[in-house]
Amino acid sequence: MTDAFSTRRKGRFSFLRPGHALLGAIGFLCAFAIAFLISEIVEELRYLNSASSDNVHWVLSQAEVEFLEFSNAVETARREPNEAALNHVIVEFDVFYSRMVTLGTGLLYADLRKIDAFGGSVAEIRRKLGAMVPVIDGPKVQLRSELGTLANEAREIRPLLRTVATRGLQFFAERSDQSRDSVAYTLLRLAAITVALVLALVVVLIYNRRVSRQTEKRGEELADAYTRLNTILQTSLDAVVVSDLEGRILNFNPAAERIFQRSYADVIGKDLAEVIIPDHFREAHYAGMKRMKATGKHKVVGHGRIRLEAMRANGEVFPVEMALEKAQTGEDEMVVGFLRDISHRVASETELVEARDRALAGEKAKAEFLAMMTHEIRTPLNGLLGNLALMKKTQLSPAQNRYVRNMGISGGVLMHHVDAVLDVARFESGASVTREEDVHIGRLVQDIVDSQASAAEANGNHIQWGWIGEPLEWIRIDASRLRQVLLNLVGNAIKFTHDGRILIEVEQTEGLQKDDRTCGLDIRVIDSGVGISEADQDRVFNDFQTVDQSRIEGQAGTGLGLGIARRFIEAMEGEIGCESTPGEGSVFWLHVPVAPVARPEERISQAPKTAPVASLDILLVEDNEINLELAREMLTGLGHRVTEARDGEQAVATAQARLFDLILMDIRMPRLDGLGATRAIRSGDGASRAVPIIAFSANVLPEAKDRFTAAGMSGFLPKPLSETELQQVIARFCGADQSQQEASPSDRNVDPMAHLRTRYLDETRDLFNWLARLPSDLGEIADRAHKIAGSAAAFGQPDLRDALIELEMAAESGHLDRVEDAIHGAREAWESAPEPTLG
Amino acid sequence: MPFARISAPASLLAASVALALSAFQVAAEPLAAPTGPVILTISGEIEHTNGDGVAAFDIDMLRALGETDIVTETIWTPDQHRFTGVRLKTLLERVGAEGGTIKATAINDYAVAIPNTDATPEGPIVAYEMDGKLMSRRDKGPLWVIYPFSSSSDYRTEVIYSRSIWQLDRMIIEQ
Repeated sequence: MTDAFSTRRKGRFSFLRPGHALLGAIGFLCAFAIAFLISEIVEELRYLNSASSDNVHWVLSQAEVEFLEFSNAVETARREPNEAALNHVIVEFDVFYSRMVTLGTGLLYADLRKIDAFGGSVAEIRRKLGAMVPVIDGPKVQLRSELGTLANEAREIRPLLRTVATRGLQFFAERSDQSRDSVAYTLLRLAAITVALVLALVVVLIYNRRVSRQTEKRGEELADAYTRLNTILQTSLDAVVVSDLEGRILNFNPAAERIFQRSYADVIGKDLAEVIIPDHFREAHYAGMKRMKATGKHKVVGHGRIRLEAMRANGEVFPVEMALEKAQTGEDEMVVGFLRDISHRVASETELVEARDRALAGEKAKAEFLAMMTHEIRTPLNGLLGNLALMKKTQLSPAQNRYVRNMGISGGVLMHHVDAVLDVARFESGASVTREEDVHIGRLVQDIVDSQASAAEANGNHIQWGWIGEPLEWIRIDASRLRQVLLNLVGNAIKFTHDGRILIEVEQTEGLQKDDRTCGLDIRVIDSGVGISEADQDRVFNDFQTVDQSRIEGQAGTGLGLGIARRFIEAMEGEIGCESTPGEGSVFWLHVPVAPVARPEERISQAPKTAPVASLDILLVEDNEINLELAREMLTGLGHRVTEARDGEQAVATAQARLFDLILMDIRMPRLDGLGATRAIRSGDGASRAVPIIAFSANVLPEAKDRFTAAGMSGFLPKPLSETELQQVIARFCGADQSQQEASPSDRNVDPMAHLRTRYLDETRDLFNWLARLPSDLGEIADRAHKIAGSAAAFGQPDLRDALIELEMAAESGHLDRVEDAIHGAREAWESAPEPTLG
Repeated sequence: MPFARISAPASLLAASVALALSAFQVAAEPLAAPTGPVILTISGEIEHTNGDGVAAFDIDMLRALGETDIVTETIWTPDQHRFTGVRLKTLLERVGAEGGTIKATAINDYAVAIPNTDATPEGPIVAYEMDGKLMSRRDKGPLWVIYPFSSSSDYRTEVIYSRSIWQLDRMIIEQ
């Protein structure tokens, strides 16, 4: 069935090159030998043919005969005195004379004449005959009288002629011998050449046999190769389809039959396009074939495997992997196609992709669900905790107070768990980004120890920390994460230790250097608690790993704390681990690379900026009833005037009509969300288009904050709302000059109220000192009086406030008497005012 | 020197026809009697005679049959010579020779048989002149059968040499 693969290679089959040369040489040698032989034989034949010798013996003896005839005629004429006898003498003389002329001048005898005995004798005879001519030609009478003389002359000629004859015979006998020798020699050479020819023929014969044997062998090899090739084709799992340049199918192997579901007999000679190419590829196929024929260029042929579609007998289109190659068989070109049915592969690939997509979608859904759930849990939790905080301020019985405190603790734990889950979700979604800042590491650790001291004490633990070796001061690090990790480790240590001690060792090391982070920081949290079994040590840093409930009292965790710690430390390119002996205690250690930095000149205070701010007009936008109430309570508690809006649209309308000092904007709202409302306010021409707008959201992801800023928001306030944070934000955007807010970081832990009070007292004292000098600038008096008046209200000194407002109004009225009275009144009010208090 | 001279058949045929025609015309005339000394007598199987069963020729009668020149060497003479005579074929046709063999005899009774087949249009002549001079008896005259030896090696054989009879004076046409 594989006609196309039959070996039409005769043209390519060649003899061995050296054999060629040998054959040529032998042929040439033969031709040369034959030519030489022929020329030899021809030469010999010519010699024999030419017969230049005539019948020499006869000629020589004839000369003697004719001489005798002449002598005889002379003798006869002497005896018979008649005319006829004389005429006979003349004829015989002429005949003999003619013979001697022939011997004397004929070319045939030229060699012979060179022999003295012959040539001399002939010449002598001719001379004598010449002497006779006058007598012979003369009158008959004279001839008769001279007959005797002629007879005597003839007797002299006789011995000479004898010499000529014998010498001539001897010469030609010798020449005959030579000729025989020559012929013999030629024949000998002929024999030699014949032998050589025969030998040459034998060589050629041997060579021919060898060549034919090689040919035979090669034929067998070709047949073998053909059989092998055929076997390969027959057993190939890939379809092999061969066509000519017209697209007519020349071959179709069993795999092709199987794949395309067509039999060999059905497709042979048919157009490729109609048999295996799907309709939508046919035009491209014809164009490709046309281009290949016209230009010899091809896009697919010889370009390796490509993926296409093919068609089965039933019209089913399926994916194939195909490689095309062009082959030359004699004059014809053909295209060999190797096709593999990859429908199964493609199907499984598709399945894999779908499975992966499903898995990814599942992961995403999970992450979204987590984020959503944490948000959804935080919102009502905010309400609970906020209301608890408010409730604490109300008049409660001792029992109620205890319940409220317990509820607060439970709510805090719940919030902590939700935050842990949110941390993991954030981290896994990649939303959490490292935020490095410059911190004083000693203070950071101290803060943690301070904050945990009471908890440690509750468990009867003693907690302390210290440097091992040279202390570090300011470093650049993701402080909030480090703080969280340390809090977790210290919290765990406290939790699992009773009546023991907890030691935090901090050490500067040289290991773990990364880029500009030139030194390492080791922190070890050592406790004398229950310890962790070796089996548990390996898994404490995994997610959702909790200890046996029976081993601690009450507090079960989410099991996420250490998992989050591990993630954070690894994100900082550090390491975290633990060592423990059950019953003796545990060591949790961490190494992180840090960059030491110079001590900042002056640092902006992170302390609450609860500067005494005047009562502000605040627009509160919040759809959640409880949150709204909570925030309103806090704001009014701080002495601000609150206008409410329940959604974005209301907010925009309200802000359009009225100038507020500040807008607190929830993000998630019906109708128009916080971002949209902010954009609308900012882009409009309403009264409040330029006032600070603070986002007010439970979504604390960093990119969310970026979105808020992009929408035109000025700041961010996280839920659950804490009074402190609320105050800070309001002070930041609506408070006094920023430069006055600066404080050293050490101020952070000072009671913000005390700080503000001190400041308020200083400012008030300054005012009265200044007023004592009786300033003449009434405008400035009015301003400063107004400012302190606002603060006085906040600090619980309404009388002072009223007096200062009186002063302000007096200054504005321009009546100096009235101003003096007002100053006096105000000083009295200040001196008699109670201690300033906030809240 | 070529082994054999091969004439173009067409030219050969044309020459044959021309000769045949001229021979026919000549043959139609009765053979005149010789006026000079008779140098050749032809007898035997011949049609035309001018005597007692004999055709006798003098030199003028031979010349009248048409002269042909053969320039050739011979083994018996020193150089190349120009022989002038009548073509043997022409002569035989003139006398209406019908026999297959010509028995030619010389003055000294040397005789040789020349087959009729030798008498071709390119073949031998019966020469009477050598280099423009009539040949005497001492110069192998009066007649010498000359083949064109130089033209072909076919004519340089002992048989041909033996047929080149000189001092010819008689011919007898035999069956």
